[in-house]
Amino acid sequence: MPDATVAGAVSEPQFAALVDAIAADPARRGQLAGLLREDHAIYAERGTAAIARMRGWILLAMARGGVSDAALVFVLEELDSGTDPYLVAAAARALRSGRLPHASLTPFVMSALANIRYRDEAVSFERYGEYAVSATGTSPVRELLATLAWLGPQARGLLAEVEALRAPVGGLPRKFRIDVERALAAIRDGDRGADAAGDCCGMRPAGSIGMHARAAEATPPSRAIEAMVLEDQDGTKTTFKAFFCGQPSIVVFFYTRCDNPMKCSLTIAKLARVQAMLEARGLADCIRTAAFTYDPAFDLPDRLRIYGQDRGVRTDAGHRLFRAAEGNDALREHFGLGVGFVGSLVNRHRIELYVLDAVGRVAVSFERLRWDEQEVVAHASAMLDGSPA
Amino acid sequence: MATKRKVAKKRSKPARRRSASPKVAARHAVSVATSPRYSVRERTAAAAETPLAVCESDKDMQAMLAVLRNTDEPVKVRLAALQSLQAASFSVLAFEACRGDYIATLRKVADDPDPELRQRVLGLLAREKDGYAQRKLLEGLHDPAKALLPPEKALQLLSYDVHADAYAAARAIVKKPPNEMARREALRLLAADATAAPMFEKLMRDKNELREIRQISASALSALKPERLQKSAREILLDKSDYDDIKATSLTALTQLGDEQALAKDKALLTSVNRFRSGKTSAKYKQTARRFLDKYDRQE
Repeated sequence: MPDATVAGAVSEPQFAALVDAIAADPARRGQLAGLLREDHAIYAERGTAAIARMRGWILLAMARGGVSDAALVFVLEELDSGTDPYLVAAAARALRSGRLPHASLTPFVMSALANIRYRDEAVSFERYGEYAVSATGTSPVRELLATLAWLGPQARGLLAEVEALRAPVGGLPRKFRIDVERALAAIRDGDRGADAAGDCCGMRPAGSIGMHARAAEATPPSRAIEAMVLEDQDGTKTTFKAFFCGQPSIVVFFYTRCDNPMKCSLTIAKLARVQAMLEARGLADCIRTAAFTYDPAFDLPDRLRIYGQDRGVRTDAGHRLFRAAEGNDALREHFGLGVGFVGSLVNRHRIELYVLDAVGRVAVSFERLRWDEQEVVAHASAMLDGSPA
Repeated sequence: MATKRKVAKKRSKPARRRSASPKVAARHAVSVATSPRYSVRERTAAAAETPLAVCESDKDMQAMLAVLRNTDEPVKVRLAALQSLQAASFSVLAFEACRGDYIATLRKVADDPDPELRQRVLGLLAREKDGYAQRKLLEGLHDPAKALLPPEKALQLLSYDVHADAYAAARAIVKKPPNEMARREALRLLAADATAAPMFEKLMRDKNELREIRQISASALSALKPERLQKSAREILLDKSDYDDIKATSLTALTQLGDEQALAKDKALLTSVNRFRSGKTSAKYKQTARRFLDKYDRQE
């Protein structure tokens, strides 16, 4: 649940002061992770740029005090799918404040480098809300290379990829040569740190942090959600109960105006691949799939249909793209969605996929990090015979 | 005399370099564009030849950015440097090394004393969905004393990013517009705001409203609430006293989005459109009516 200690209506400077105060108090530092939830009241009715400034400041506060286990997923989320230079740079810096380098963090850093290198720009961490007007400071690429150096021998599994960063063709620009060499030297430094393949501190592999099995805690669908009217890509109406009760299902969330290609567009393209896997295994009639828009006021049936078609999504009676014709709040409550709004428009959201059981309860969720199609299909298939994946 | 001879010698260089390789010629063009020893005309012409060459050498890139930043340079040369850098930025791979300096420099000159340069720089940053530019533009809308651009231009640039949080400012301008152009741009921006549909419906049906505003409203309504547009369009077409251009817009909307079965049975509407087509309206509008009737009037 969102942290209730901060009211929504604060100015950005007040917010920055608040974050600084929380970060300075070891007893309260754990609250910073709660402030990163997209549905926190503090983000309501703010634009995306303001939210980037605010979240970036929280990540920088974490970087000063150390990222807790609870906050790690927020840091990895930025590295995995972030496209805002300030946020990616802040996340890279925050990751270095974690307890120990770990091999499973390396793919996130490399993924972030690939995502951000053509959007690299100078960022300023000195004061809240400051934008760089000269390129003398740091940048997301520089921060990520520093994080690779921090990972040291733990990044040895991806040494070849890091070496490719200094290639004349396809490598990073020459201005990063010193940073790349420093990272390579640290990775090759076998005397320092733990065995690259080992899991010295019992840390959960970073890639699985976003997955949660909820069967034991899942509550049955409320009357409000069961009665909720859904409209699909063809304008056909049904209810939540009619579609989701009777068979397990896979549910994703998206909206057509999302401008992060690593989030909604990719989610829907991957849903199409999940559908193809279900079809190949003869499960397309046993497991339903649904994609819900966060933005039902704008995403009318035509928009849903075209968006799905363009990404290869199959649509028929058991596989649909939905908008909440009414009762969107019930939907948000049932899934505990990680989304914030300015007016009716989404201002920030996480990646989220849910596997529902045959009565519409959330059995497994994949949150924030990009999910693996095979893993999702395995969990949904397990719902059919009642055994965990 | 000595100085004159030196300048003349330098000026003859571009002509002599014409036979050089494209790379050498481009590098030379950068040196001309960034050197105050050449005339404004020569420098702007050279800047137009440079785009990709500026990325090949950090020195050239810094020299071009320095021209853009330098308020003592002639504005025409600075604008030419900006255009060259902008053209270079289209080549994303080649521009990778330069992008950081480029964006930082654009921010640096976003509040330049020259209004044309300011507007173009803010336009480039706004297309990048740059938070710095958006904040400056929003500040100017809230407080005209801080405005870097006229409100209509600021609204236009903010509309490049649907997530820019400009709806509240746009609504305030619709309510109390500083001028008619600002009101129009505010409405265009709000055309992406799903909650603005009732306002557009009201404006579209208001016969006392400016026709351009009614057309913007019709267009917005067709994106936000197509079923409401169809209802309003039908009422406008049945109203003998409404303007022909508004009727034509309504006809286009119904032709593109209409419920085929319902419209084919709507005798009152078909009669009204037939009357419109055979009336005194322009050939262009008659053609619009004909398209509608071709689609829906099965009696034809």
